[in-house]
Amino acid sequence: MNTSHDSDGASGCGNRPATSGLNILNQGTPCGGGGSCGGVSCGGEQRSKADSRRQFLSRATSMVFGSFALTLLPMESPESTAETPLPAPPNGGAIPAPPAASVAKPVLYGFLVDTEKCIGSGKCLSACRTENHVPDGYSRTWVERYVHFKDGTVQVDLVPEAGYHESKLPIVDAALVDKAYFVPKLCNQCVDAPCNQVCPVHASFTSPEGVELIDTDRCIGCGYCVQACPYGMRYINPETNSADKCTWCYHRITKNQEPACVEACPVGARVFGRLDDPESELSKRLGAVRTQVLKEYLGTHPKLHYVGLSGEVV
Amino acid sequence: MSRHFSLLRDTRHLQAVALGLIVLGGGLIAARSHLIPKSFGEHGPYRGDALTEISAQQPVLTSDTTCLKCHDSVRKERAESPHKDVACLHCHGNGHEHMAQAANAAADPSVTIEKAKPWDGDFFTKLDLFITKDRATCLSCHEKVVGMPAGFRSIDVKSHLADQGAENIDSPDVCFECHTGHSPGI
Repeated sequence: MNTSHDSDGASGCGNRPATSGLNILNQGTPCGGGGSCGGVSCGGEQRSKADSRRQFLSRATSMVFGSFALTLLPMESPESTAETPLPAPPNGGAIPAPPAASVAKPVLYGFLVDTEKCIGSGKCLSACRTENHVPDGYSRTWVERYVHFKDGTVQVDLVPEAGYHESKLPIVDAALVDKAYFVPKLCNQCVDAPCNQVCPVHASFTSPEGVELIDTDRCIGCGYCVQACPYGMRYINPETNSADKCTWCYHRITKNQEPACVEACPVGARVFGRLDDPESELSKRLGAVRTQVLKEYLGTHPKLHYVGLSGEVV
Repeated sequence: MSRHFSLLRDTRHLQAVALGLIVLGGGLIAARSHLIPKSFGEHGPYRGDALTEISAQQPVLTSDTTCLKCHDSVRKERAESPHKDVACLHCHGNGHEHMAQAANAAADPSVTIEKAKPWDGDFFTKLDLFITKDRATCLSCHEKVVGMPAGFRSIDVKSHLADQGAENIDSPDVCFECHTGHSPGI
């Protein structure tokens, strides 16, 4: 057969068309060493094979690029398209800015803590407890004291809620201290809040003003969020069996009042305000002084800013 | 070879499957509408009513503006003093009951507003108003503690009283021999 391939190839092929077809399908090598099949029909199969491969490649390519092209489409939620006005034209742009009344500007709250002002009186602590009915043994906010001793050690302790006066705490000898300062802690209200992301029942949520809140009716008390918060802000409230946390006093700020701790601070170490309003005291302070956030490397993007932090503060 | 699919012969099986799917689907839809709260998704992936519930909570602490509506003289006293940023409640407590009485008195002139009581030494539990001519009130902020900013006026009580020649060192209102609360600077 091999030798007579050229001469009677066509007739051989004609004799066993079905077999040759099967061979092609099964082996995928129609013109292999067997040579049972004629050059004409083999050539035809090769062409169609090549055609189908070309077709396949062209379709695959267009599909791949097509799916990439899909990612270029603008991704916007209906909410944001409804609320956000068109991007402001550059100065001197022909398009006039939309009138302020027609578009409701989204409110965004922020917080600034000035550690250079805090005196550790602890008034914010009892104010928060009273305002938010925080059970004993739990806290939505606390104030840490960092004491850097001359021997290089750093001591961190908590400011007592009733203040240092008559607190019976051991008195730190000022002669041994290099520097010492107070750091109030409260919810960072992260833009990318890890606590919010782990909630399995959508009980943790972000208000339209950017405040992380908890729906106590939906919370099942699993405590994932308590573990997820890198700042240790959350706890399970033993009275409600629900997760609980600092809300920047959402019930006060929505009534145009300041959070309880801000109200209670006698030295203005806590500043609350609107980030979206460039005329607010907060925006002006943030623009004028150098600030830091806690654990910036975690990428949580806190809306709580600090003035005068030292590297030891975490 | 294999038995061919026949619509006629398999009708009863198909009906059973279709019925099962309809019941299952209907049950799932009913369960979903029952389990998902009505306001879910109003503002985002959460129960929208939770937002209104939280913001409807009533504030407990009183802000200064409320106090100064009636006690306007204090505003002038504090205007130039180091205590201009110190809120009323820091020294006088919250005044919840006091304001409730004031509101009642405004509506009905026969209602009398009770006088403030002396401070019992506990800021934490008190939501009512009190008068605080007490050194502990002053020292809750002004006693020198390691960690205070250098610019803050803090004192070591014993040496300060000795330096200033206070008369009744043990008296609770010893601070008021020299200072006043609303405008304490000298």
